[in-house]
Amino acid sequence: MRTLLNRITGRSAALATPLARGEAGPCAECALVTCRAGVRSVVVALRCDAPEACRLRTLGLIEGAPVTVVDCRHGLLLEVRGARVAISAAIARLVNVRPLAA
Amino acid sequence: MTSLASRTSAAATSDLRVALIGNPNTGKSTLFNALTGLRQKVGNYAGVTVERVEGRYKRATGGQVVLVDLPGTYSLTALSPDEEIALAVLLGQEADVPRPDVVVIIADALHLERNLFLASQVIGLGLPTVLALNQFDAAEDAGISIDVPALIAALGVAVIPTVATRGDGLDALRRAIEQAPGFPPADLRLPLGEPIEAALAPLVAKLEASGLESPAAHMQALRLLAVPSPEPHLRVVPGVPEAVEATRTAVAAAGRDPYRLEAEVRYAWIDEVVRGAVARQRPAGRTVSDRLDAVLLHRVWGPLVFLVLLALVFQAVFTWATPLMDGIDAAVSGVGNWVAGAMPEGLLRGLLVEGVIGGAASVLVFLPQIAILFLLLGILEDSGYMARAALLMDRLMRAVGLPGRSVIPLISGYACAVPAIMSTRTIADPKDRLATIMVLPLTSCSARLPVYTLLIGAFVPATLVGGVLDLRGVTLFSMYAIGTVMALAMAWVFRRTLLRGPVRPLILELPPYRLPHPKGLLLAVWHRVQLFLRRAGTVILALSVVLWALATWPRTDVSPDLPPAAAAEAQLEGSALGHIGKAIEPLVRPLGFDWKIGVSIAASFAAREVFVTTMGTIYGVSDPDAESGSLRDALRAARDPATGGPAYTTLTAVGLMVFYVFALMCMSTLAITLRETGGGAVGARWAAIQFAYMLVLAWVSAYVVRLVGLANGWGLG
Repeated sequence: MRTLLNRITGRSAALATPLARGEAGPCAECALVTCRAGVRSVVVALRCDAPEACRLRTLGLIEGAPVTVVDCRHGLLLEVRGARVAISAAIARLVNVRPLAA
Repeated sequence: MTSLASRTSAAATSDLRVALIGNPNTGKSTLFNALTGLRQKVGNYAGVTVERVEGRYKRATGGQVVLVDLPGTYSLTALSPDEEIALAVLLGQEADVPRPDVVVIIADALHLERNLFLASQVIGLGLPTVLALNQFDAAEDAGISIDVPALIAALGVAVIPTVATRGDGLDALRRAIEQAPGFPPADLRLPLGEPIEAALAPLVAKLEASGLESPAAHMQALRLLAVPSPEPHLRVVPGVPEAVEATRTAVAAAGRDPYRLEAEVRYAWIDEVVRGAVARQRPAGRTVSDRLDAVLLHRVWGPLVFLVLLALVFQAVFTWATPLMDGIDAAVSGVGNWVAGAMPEGLLRGLLVEGVIGGAASVLVFLPQIAILFLLLGILEDSGYMARAALLMDRLMRAVGLPGRSVIPLISGYACAVPAIMSTRTIADPKDRLATIMVLPLTSCSARLPVYTLLIGAFVPATLVGGVLDLRGVTLFSMYAIGTVMALAMAWVFRRTLLRGPVRPLILELPPYRLPHPKGLLLAVWHRVQLFLRRAGTVILALSVVLWALATWPRTDVSPDLPPAAAAEAQLEGSALGHIGKAIEPLVRPLGFDWKIGVSIAASFAAREVFVTTMGTIYGVSDPDAESGSLRDALRAARDPATGGPAYTTLTAVGLMVFYVFALMCMSTLAITLRETGGGAVGARWAAIQFAYMLVLAWVSAYVVRLVGLANGWGLG
């Protein structure tokens, strides 16, 4: 019942991630899409196509830059250099990050 | 020094060309409006439909400052037509647009870090530059303290704090613009290191040889390494593509990733500037926008709020506009009656009353609806909600092969397909953009409203559905809904046939929620109203006169004993318009339409609104707008000469509305599709495909409506 409620109210994406379940500590490197809301990490690599990588870099999502997941209900809503940037889950799978300890 | 002084003095009395550039949502347009007031001109850049907005104000020393409001852009990376235009204007490579004397960068003080990326590129071009630090008050309120002198020292350009919505800092900004040409141009050189400079040198030399000045060539060289391919005009410069590839190899050999280089060095420089000039008094916490997003981006409430907002927009357009429309209707009818009373009966009176005044009436009466629709869309855009709508709709749009970004042009299509198609320029991928353009006219634009309003008013009863909703409102909403569903379905078809290819993933900035600025909103609405009036004043009015002529000649000998209405119908039947209608009748008869509807459909190819005018001409109504009772009564009273029963029923009206949902009856839309899809033979091919598939869809759908309706016994009254 709780799972169903979470699914309806949009909390399922956060609960589906290993980090949210607390089954393991922050991984050394993982795809951004697996990070739950509130996780702060550092961009390690952009593995997406050149136009998308170029666009992300102009918005400040460069290798070595800190990024925070604000919301993960519709793709990922990120805080990047003080601004909010939304990216689709498809592209978040191609962004490797290293989560920072809370 | 003397030459500089004399140059400055001479320049002070002539026109000064100033380009305004900035990220989207920085208050750039508000600042532009505050500087120029109503002295604005909207057009297009040559060869493309990127909007060109120019304004001007008087210089204290004589002459004028001519301001060019460049499209909002995050960088000069030139990945979209908007960015390409902005870069071309600043480099002096845009046809018919002289290189600006001064550039004003509008930076959002709340998000200075991100805004400095574009600023660093612009400053690097070596033009006299001023940076307007806008929304300075909001930054202070958020605990962000900016050391302006430190920022001036770091950037090497004048920095003016402004609050465009209140007009704060505008005098200082005007003074800085005046003084900028007298100062040495900014020369921002990012610290690249000797090996990278050496690797870049051949490409810089090649770009200088192609006509670029030194600072601009250096900035361009760095930028070109990052972009997937140089923009079209650089691709044809001999040796440039090869030099870019060679430089990438050399940069990689020097130990740096050429694709990352520009962003890395710019952001490293930005980090240093921000450390020296910006202090945050308190950590950034959960903002008001975050709290609103918790609801508006909620998986359940988010889409619900979106649908409610859309429904509210439609209800507002349908109901708020009514008193204004009635007022315009009464005024134009009064003029028509006065002219009819003041002139002797004859052809000239017919031309003026039925042709000119009747045509103008059918156009002017819809101004309130268009103004209200653009006002509401403007509020959604300026408040920051449109970006959320794009995010909410991304998954749905992706399912049919369109990016989330397409939802904004598609929603704009409810107002008018012409600006909506123009707004697809923000979609970077050509196939995404083309697919959006091809299906966009299926969303019901405001020009269909006259047809819907007329037919709903005449044939749909004002009963309540479920005790709450007006059946007429539900019918109107249904027309919008089926157009939207078909647009999505056709996008799915296009993306799997003619436009097969990957969908570019969503990358979108969500601006903070803001209260829209009333002056900016009203100016935007005024520009749209002007465009509509220009169109109405030319194409539709001219067509109205032509239609009157077609309905008037050749003259038919009518028995003087006939009553006036029967005489008018006999004249019409024998006229050129009548002959055209009879020729079309076999094509539309299976849909339940008679020759009168056939001729109105044919005439409305110019613009859908003309349907109402033509029906008015056919039925001899001098003020044929959809809201006036006279034409509705005439349609309800019309009899089928063969059966003696009603000529039109509710089923006919629904079939006709469905036909108009799908048919591309708009020359302007076809013209803009032709231009936006490449122009020439390529553009003509896409425009022809668009027209043909929509016509087939319209005919088949109207036929299905009739078959289903007759099978259920709905076509009897």
